[in-house]
Amino acid sequence: MSRKTLTGAFAAILVAGTASAAIAADDIKIGNLVDYTGATSTVSKPFSEGKIDAFNWINAHGGINGKQINADTVDYSYQAPRAIAAYKRWVSEFGAVAIAGWGTADTEALVGFLAKDEMPYYSGSYSAHLTDPTGKSGVVKAPAPYNFFYNVSYSDALRGMLQWAAEDWKKQGKEGKPKYVHMGDNHPYPNAARKAGEEYAKELGFDVLPAIQYSLAPADFKAQCLTLKESGANYAYLGNTAGSNISLLKSCETVGVEAQFMANIWGFDESAAEAAGSAADGVVWVVGSATWQDDAPGMKLVHEIAGGDGYRPVHYVRGVCTAFYMKEAMEWADKNGGVTGPNIKQGMYQKTDWVPAGLEGVCFPSTWTPEDHRGTIDMYVYQGEVKDGKFAMNRLAETRIDRRPEWLGW
Amino acid sequence: MSSMSLRPCGDYRTSYAKDTTIFPTKWSRNFAILGLILAALFPLIASQYHMNLAITIAIYGIAALGLNILVGFTGQISLGHAAFFGFGAFSSAFLNNTYDVPVVLAIPLAGLMTTAVGLIVGIPAARIKGLYLAIATLASQFILQDFFSRADFFTGGSAGALAQSFSLFGWEAYGEHNFYYVALVFMVICFLLATNMLRSRDGRAFVAVRDHYLSAEVMGVNLTKYRLMSFGVSSFYAGIAGALYGHYLGFVSVESFTILLSIQFLGMIIIGGLGSVMGTLMGTAFMVLLPEVLEGVVSAMNGAGLIGASFMTNVAFLKEAAIGLVIVLFLIFEPDGLAHRWRQIKAYWKLYPFSY
Repeated sequence: MSRKTLTGAFAAILVAGTASAAIAADDIKIGNLVDYTGATSTVSKPFSEGKIDAFNWINAHGGINGKQINADTVDYSYQAPRAIAAYKRWVSEFGAVAIAGWGTADTEALVGFLAKDEMPYYSGSYSAHLTDPTGKSGVVKAPAPYNFFYNVSYSDALRGMLQWAAEDWKKQGKEGKPKYVHMGDNHPYPNAARKAGEEYAKELGFDVLPAIQYSLAPADFKAQCLTLKESGANYAYLGNTAGSNISLLKSCETVGVEAQFMANIWGFDESAAEAAGSAADGVVWVVGSATWQDDAPGMKLVHEIAGGDGYRPVHYVRGVCTAFYMKEAMEWADKNGGVTGPNIKQGMYQKTDWVPAGLEGVCFPSTWTPEDHRGTIDMYVYQGEVKDGKFAMNRLAETRIDRRPEWLGW
Repeated sequence: MSSMSLRPCGDYRTSYAKDTTIFPTKWSRNFAILGLILAALFPLIASQYHMNLAITIAIYGIAALGLNILVGFTGQISLGHAAFFGFGAFSSAFLNNTYDVPVVLAIPLAGLMTTAVGLIVGIPAARIKGLYLAIATLASQFILQDFFSRADFFTGGSAGALAQSFSLFGWEAYGEHNFYYVALVFMVICFLLATNMLRSRDGRAFVAVRDHYLSAEVMGVNLTKYRLMSFGVSSFYAGIAGALYGHYLGFVSVESFTILLSIQFLGMIIIGGLGSVMGTLMGTAFMVLLPEVLEGVVSAMNGAGLIGASFMTNVAFLKEAAIGLVIVLFLIFEPDGLAHRWRQIKAYWKLYPFSY
């Protein structure tokens, strides 16, 4: 290839790169951050597909009071600097009024910018300290007035599972105090719920053992499993994401660990169960919405949104819920002074025990207030069952925890 | 020969001072000043997005320059540069949050603190080299990363630390258009300092250590001292850059300083040109802009309806693969880096219309 051709090709790429997509006149622009190619892609993919399918369905069915949603999707490979660059572009060039975001590091890094830019941000990070909009709780480092998410926070989800575990212990009629152990990498994401879980476990009468560390990157975790076995823990929380948890479950199966595993919301799903095989038997985890086969009235709409072609994982449904909360907040904003960041934020406060129209029985009723961004405190506790090589998900309980003021933000 | 010097015919250097001047010709100095003026005017026409990219280039450029002093000039290797970068970010936030040190002072102090850590990590460098040193620095990457997530008093543990915005005499550098000038000033100072150092006695000693350590030692260069010093200087730059990064984002989290970033820094200096100050900046700009340009191409294709939604989800990895491919092609066709290409372009115009 000659030098001229190379230069020409490079110039063409630059021109194409800077030319933005054609912009329709009367549309509502939102940024959509996804991870299709990075560390969290296995769970981001179904979640983001849920969001995108929902936006497309909304556009095909009248949009936001007749206005089309123009969602600009950026795959940032789970690299915070690229998420920040995308955010800056949405704010300055694209003119986004809200953002459907994703990961821990980037959401945390953006909290300050969001408040300053008055940009509502619906993250896939459910860290409890994003739930304190005023900073009055005193436990968060910075108030997060423009951060929202649909789901129980990581901390509340763990509290819910502990509640289930305490009842399970009673039901089994075992003697003495059950032993609880937190497991996960020493990283912001697995640690987000650690203290909350350990405190609540103590309150519920558990014996809390020292946390066990295993890396977010999948590896051989037999050493950790041996520690777990020797500790005699009855209930073990898995704070990492699915890939790492699959390796741990397999290692622990080899070692012969008896403990009851409880995985966080991104820590387990159908594909994880498939990969873990027989080790997935008995794992308990949190699900934040109805699932594909559930007989809920709103599931008909979810199936329609998905285009009806086959099974969708649990994260997909939560993506749809997230998009629909955004939709209704934007509709309110449109009728009350225009679709702007502050108006969308106000839109989030208009209803209590709010389920988006058409999704009854799918998303948990949620309430956001200017002082409390814990949308929902409900969750389903599921257990995996492997029979003859086939995996099944069984709902064990629908759990609701208290909305204690001192739990806000952690 | 053409790529070595672009001085006009008959312009002889008659003293050492003239030989080691920063700008070899009047024109190169004028162009540098013009470049600075243009850079200072850039915010007038640029959007927040472009400012964000420029700030990222400036900050990463400082860090990459530090690495280039270590790798390109002294011939050492480090796979732990991102950890020093992170240490600078946490140090500055710590000084500011705990002792109320003004940010403007916290940044250079963070640089000094990082230097101290770099010197400790650099101690093995006095004795080992090559792959062994690479592994030793890799270890420092993991040790520091683990330290960040455990040292609650210093970093806020795995929850991270808040960093206040940069302010000077009541002027607060919040937002891209303001912070750009802070980053620009720090970058210009850092690049000038490095250029100056490299033409000094110490700088020449670095190059001597790189080119042939045995000869250097025979000539009286203290290998241990200069290898350590190189680590110190490199960490100082990483510390300054990290501190700027922290105060720009307002939040420092352990997640941002992984081995991946260390490798990216290496990529920047290799693409830019090992042992070239200007090349460092070019390589940094290349590495920062490439994913953005490719993202732009993908979204433009998407906007124009060239690819469907399913393509977006299923073939998104093509973009990542393309980033890798471009870097590989670069290394094959331009192994000496962008700085070398730039020298050739200059030589081409200098000699135009005759190629020899």
